[in-house]
Amino acid sequence: MMLVLALDAVMTGAEKRLTAYIDNSGADVWVAQSGVRNLHMVSSWMPASVTGEVEDVPGVDSAIPVMYLTAPVDTKNEQSLAYVIGLPEDAASGKPWRVAEGRAVPEPGEAVIDSAVAERSGIKLGDKVKILGQKLEVTGLADGTSTLTNSVAFISMEDFERVRGGGQVVSFVLAKVERGRSPGAVAQRIEEDVGGVTAQSRQEFAEQERRLVNDMAGDLLAIMNLAGFMTGLAVVALTVYTATLARRSEYGVLKALGARNSRLYGVVLAQALYSVALGFAVGLAFTLLLSAIVPALGSNLPLQVGVASLLKVGSASLVIAALAAVLPIRQIAGLDPAAVFRG
Amino acid sequence: MNDSTNDSTLRVEHVSKRFGSGETEVVAVRDVSLSVAPGEVVLIMGPSGSGKSTLLSMLGALLKPTEGQIRLGDEVLSALSENRLPTVRLRRFGFIFQGFNLLSALTVLENVALVAQLAGAKRGEARRRAATILGELGLAERLDFLPEKLSGGEKQRVAIARALINDPALILADEPTANLDSSIGHEVMRLLRNIAKEQNRSVIIVSHDARIKDIADRVLWLEDGRFKDMVAMATDPVCGMAVEREKAVVAQWNGRTFYFCSRGCRNEFFEDPASFADGDDG
Repeated sequence: MMLVLALDAVMTGAEKRLTAYIDNSGADVWVAQSGVRNLHMVSSWMPASVTGEVEDVPGVDSAIPVMYLTAPVDTKNEQSLAYVIGLPEDAASGKPWRVAEGRAVPEPGEAVIDSAVAERSGIKLGDKVKILGQKLEVTGLADGTSTLTNSVAFISMEDFERVRGGGQVVSFVLAKVERGRSPGAVAQRIEEDVGGVTAQSRQEFAEQERRLVNDMAGDLLAIMNLAGFMTGLAVVALTVYTATLARRSEYGVLKALGARNSRLYGVVLAQALYSVALGFAVGLAFTLLLSAIVPALGSNLPLQVGVASLLKVGSASLVIAALAAVLPIRQIAGLDPAAVFRG
Repeated sequence: MNDSTNDSTLRVEHVSKRFGSGETEVVAVRDVSLSVAPGEVVLIMGPSGSGKSTLLSMLGALLKPTEGQIRLGDEVLSALSENRLPTVRLRRFGFIFQGFNLLSALTVLENVALVAQLAGAKRGEARRRAATILGELGLAERLDFLPEKLSGGEKQRVAIARALINDPALILADEPTANLDSSIGHEVMRLLRNIAKEQNRSVIIVSHDARIKDIADRVLWLEDGRFKDMVAMATDPVCGMAVEREKAVVAQWNGRTFYFCSRGCRNEFFEDPASFADGDDG
């Protein structure tokens, strides 16, 4: 249970971090190349003119183009994978939402990188890092922009375009909708009015990102959860079985005295429930402790205990308790009360 | 404790119990008849394998006879469905076991109250009744003790309190003195006799211990599944066991005949015959 809870907490925390950039982008609608519905492992290129076309769609308040590639950030000591975002100078959306040090929007020749990555690599403001083959000066450190697998690095649109060899293209257009407008409805209108694009509300875009990563990690998660479930079942079953076996003669005495089987089954089930409740409580305490300790150790591994996770593990615990009680109940059912007179 | 034994005579009529069938058939009890009146103390003795445990199980509604009928008052126990037997055991019988068989994780009070709760009493009521009975048996200071903290005699008194908590008509005791020293054993047996006489309950005791014969109104000898005449029985002066004269190891000393369960007891007797011969019934 501890394993399943901790794993769930890791996944919930990782999921939340996974879409942190999308969630905090400030955009209501994400416009991408047709068919592109998320950030992870995709490439999206649209004509730069799309930005203006999006801006002209009724209901759109403003639109900001950003460039995007997945590439390593090369520091002095290590390479770390990052979503590299190219920002225009006047970017109101898509920029770092929490800056630890320095500026949020980089100018040409500058980069803003994740503060945890910088700390791990010993990078300070003014140091150089290599992104997309260019040496850039770190002028800003952003907080909350790292996930389990990568971080987000920001460079200027100009530097990004130079790497691409010019070309009037953008990766995404981040649109804000007018007050009172539904992002979903405006996204649909953008798709209708601007050809060759896929537009989604921020929530939809983030959901697609989460779904993709969950699909990728689904099998591993299922195996880990099954391992946790089976381990929990084995431990609880063995505990309850051993406890019943140790008191086998006492159950026999109770049967001889007149206790009904149903009552004794209830005792066994209660023991199983106490065992899983104890396991659940210890597992939860351990996971909450981990979730407090891990960030303090500077890890990128955020743990978050969610209601869904508690319900899932709680339900699994009940199933474990029921299954664990089966063998002892069968043992009690087979006890001959007359054996009490046979010593 | 109430006198609830208006019509609770136990009648055992031509009861037999067979296990297995064909060549592997074993007849544990053969055509046994017995009647025990309220207030009567009956001691059933017999060698190991004589059918005592099987008979006791049938008397206690733990086992159904293959043939014959067992009645307690107007109720034919042997005809009751399996589903009804637990209730009958709880409400009409009190059981006292050889090894006390108290529940080790429960206190003295809980051990006794639990049986009342099983019979449907609310927790508070069950604890109150248990405390009263335990007080009457001299265990008022031991209510919160775990069984492991009690002496053998105290444990057996707790077992007796447990047997009495649901006001049963009949008490069945299996070797109640087996784990007690001689004086405590006698004390427990006197207690059982007093309960039988003062509360008008029937008490059936199964035992090897011939030293407790004096507390019984009747002593029956069970061998090979049948009751036999006690006249043909004698007590081994060394170990105190009842032995069948016909099959016993026999020895003469000082002009008297002594009967032993084994050569070992006879040899021990002759190491200091005077000390064993005093008070023996020969």
